[in-house]
Amino acid sequence: MFPTLKTGAVMQYPAKRTLQFATGVIRFLDGTEQRYCDSPSVLHKWTIQLDLLDEAEIAALDRFVQENQGRFGSFSFTDPWDGTVYPDCSFAADTFAFQLRGEMRAKTELTICENRS
Amino acid sequence: MIYFPQLSSGATGQFPIARQRVARTVVNQSCENYSVKLADPGAGITEWHLSFEELTDQELAALEALFQAVQGQLTGFTFLDPADNLLAWSEAQNQAAWQADPLLIVTGNIADPLGGTAAFQLVNPSGATLMLQQSIDAPASMDYCFSAYVRSDQSTRVWLVRGSQTDARVLSQQWTRVTSAGQLQSEAETIAFGIALDPGSTVEVFGMQAEAQTAASLYKQTFETAGVYPNARFRNDALTITTVGPNRHSCELDIVNVEHL
Repeated sequence: MFPTLKTGAVMQYPAKRTLQFATGVIRFLDGTEQRYCDSPSVLHKWTIQLDLLDEAEIAALDRFVQENQGRFGSFSFTDPWDGTVYPDCSFAADTFAFQLRGEMRAKTELTICENRS
Repeated sequence: MIYFPQLSSGATGQFPIARQRVARTVVNQSCENYSVKLADPGAGITEWHLSFEELTDQELAALEALFQAVQGQLTGFTFLDPADNLLAWSEAQNQAAWQADPLLIVTGNIADPLGGTAAFQLVNPSGATLMLQQSIDAPASMDYCFSAYVRSDQSTRVWLVRGSQTDARVLSQQWTRVTSAGQLQSEAETIAFGIALDPGSTVEVFGMQAEAQTAASLYKQTFETAGVYPNARFRNDALTITTVGPNRHSCELDIVNVEHL
């Protein structure tokens, strides 16, 4: 499970969520086109921007990314908008960076994407 | 041992401190968004960006001496992460990183002060002082702060071990975070941190943490990797220093730890 903050929240404002379809389009010489669905379902992506975290919260996120070895691992993520649990998600990148600007003032950004399984 | 120096305040870094971990995953992705992934744990990289302001001549000289000793990015040095716990397996005292004296009884899965069950109980049934400790490969002469949450149903005390220094702390039935901080006059290249128990005492312990600074920060759980990097390097061959007045210097440093080097 993706770690929650001490408040119990997963994300902070501004929170970004992306729904991704894959539509193939073949355009013909006369301007008409044929479209087809290139994937079986929509995929979700969440961009999580976190600020003013304390050292324990940022350390928990850091450990979680390490445990998952970047984008290699898979974990379940609960969409904070509607509570839907997506059982197969991964980080979108192999990099996890944070900045400590002072005590209890850590800042980071993560992107989680749903895997096709 | 060549190591990254502390400032006169005892800190290794100044805010802001940025750290980045980079893993390597080989991904074969199909056009329908199915993917096959392969991890490459040996290719991990950890990077720090440190900004220093208002350094004194002495502090700058120590940084310059290190930079010259390692010849820029050529050779490695020991770096103690200012944003991490230096003790590995902070909640797994059965791991080999921890050395328990033979008669000491260690029992896990005890309720901890953060609402979990990661505390453990230490029982000393013998007639001598017994110890649970972990040794790290770092110079004993640096400033360190060792901290732990402790409690006991007995009216007893616990000894905090920080190298050759042991500090007694009286326990209560409530979880209390106790610390032992300071600098040792020692040339040793390792230093041990841990808990020692008087004969016949029983103590519950949670969240042991060592940091290369003079006071404890919030507890950070660790696993097999902790904040000691014995082969860190500078990322660049250039060190640029800005002097804005007498005894007032600033510089920025990039440090990198590459697992496969």
